Amino acid sequence: MDHPQRDYRKLAAALAPDIPAAELDRVVQPLESLEAAFRPLTAALADETEPAFTVRLSTEWPA
Amino acid sequence: MSARLPFRTIAEAGEELRAKRISAVELTKISLKAAADEQPRTNAFLAMMEEQALADATRCDAELARGESPSPLHGIPVAVKDVFSTKGTKTTVGSKIFANHVPDHDAAVVERLRAAGAIIIGKTHMQEFAYGITCNNPHFGPVRNPHDVSRIPGGSSGGSGAAVAAGVVLMAMGSDTGGSIRIPASFCGTSGLKPTTGRVSRYGVLPLDFTLDHMGPLAPTPHDCALSLQVLAGYDPRDESSSRAPVDRYAPPAEPSLAGFRIGIPTSFYYEGLQPSIARALESLQNKAEALGARLVPVDVGDIAAINAIGRVILLSEASAALEPYLHRRADFGADVLALLDQGRLLPATDYVNAQRLRRIHMTKFEAVWEKVDCLLTATTPTTAPKIGQAMIDILGKSEDVRLASTRLVRGFNVLGLPALSIPSGLDGEALPMGAQIVGRRFNEKTVLAVGQALLS
Repeated sequence: MDHPQRDYRKLAAALAPDIPAAELDRVVQPLESLEAAFRPLTAALADETEPAFTVRLSTEWPA
Repeated sequence: MSARLPFRTIAEAGEELRAKRISAVELTKISLKAAADEQPRTNAFLAMMEEQALADATRCDAELARGESPSPLHGIPVAVKDVFSTKGTKTTVGSKIFANHVPDHDAAVVERLRAAGAIIIGKTHMQEFAYGITCNNPHFGPVRNPHDVSRIPGGSSGGSGAAVAAGVVLMAMGSDTGGSIRIPASFCGTSGLKPTTGRVSRYGVLPLDFTLDHMGPLAPTPHDCALSLQVLAGYDPRDESSSRAPVDRYAPPAEPSLAGFRIGIPTSFYYEGLQPSIARALESLQNKAEALGARLVPVDVGDIAAINAIGRVILLSEASAALEPYLHRRADFGADVLALLDQGRLLPATDYVNAQRLRRIHMTKFEAVWEKVDCLLTATTPTTAPKIGQAMIDILGKSEDVRLASTRLVRGFNVLGLPALSIPSGLDGEALPMGAQIVGRRFNEKTVLAVGQALLS
């Protein structure tokens, strides 16, 4: 599965415009490296794979 | 020369207290003086609790006079990281934002320590919001490593590591989201235990990460960690993740023997990219384990680099969600933490959910390891303590980011929720401490502590 690399500068402009331009390198570069390591892993996910933590309502909740 | 506590372990101090060869008040006064003497050198504390500590010690002495000693921590001077709420005493979480925060309640850990008769002398210094490993705190100054004050103590529980290593207290509590107990233990030459998820209550601790945070002790030896865990472990209905799993008896056997233990030596990742002195120290520990009767078993531990990436996505996402209410005060955050929080704001929710799905897959897969071995032996950190302000570190000719290098051998066990102990594995050629890590199956702190204590014997 090929994913186009996200443009975190555009995402920052849209989602977090309060991040000053001078600080963007410290934000964008680590995210680009992390994305390269993380996104290929998602190919291992089966449709039915649940998150590690799921909501389970029981008679004990709320206490 | 700074004063140090005259005892090396909790057991040794406890024996002297119960034999009435020293009083809890005397011991507390020595500890308070040691803290004051060390403060200009290491900056290990953010607040002292002298008045309450002496009152608690006086009460302990009265109990000892009546022959009462409710726990091995009774009368023992300890400290807690400034992430733990203390009723009536400032709890800053290492941040400017909480600089004047005075909680109206104690954290569960503080309650349990007090109920056991431990004497809390103060709040230890830490990374801002426990988010990072350098303890180069922009608001309250850097914590310095007692072995070399030009170096970091590790973090985020760096003040706790420094206070134990300097002989100020015999146990200091830390929190560990991606190695924050074990890294300072490694860099400062102490023991440090990150228990299983749910083993020690998180109640009264400002969350950094809802699914990765763990609370645990740093202390001179694994035996001291075991005595501390005995007091700390147990179900707490105020913590959603708290487990009802039975609490073991954690104290390791007096006779160091590893007969019958299968110690796993990972065949990938954990023995790669280590400073040569650390690799040699691990080899010595392996030899010692065999001499004590253990069998060394090569074992496949799967894709730890993937688990680390999953952990980073989870941490960036959850920490930014947890601290979002304060993000409008950008000027009140340090640059390092702010950059991490901004990164988390830009990660899509789909990545977070997929990271938690991948986490389930790896947690399930990793169970196969425990069919072959009883515990794993690895290094805790691939290097000794870097210099304060150092951003990159050279390991075997390769330059690595200090933060990523320091967390790469420890972060995975937060993702997997497994108990992991750091023990001192000796000093390198520069007399800097090195650390080894012992990891066990969930809720099997007993094995981890027994192996750690035997390897230190």
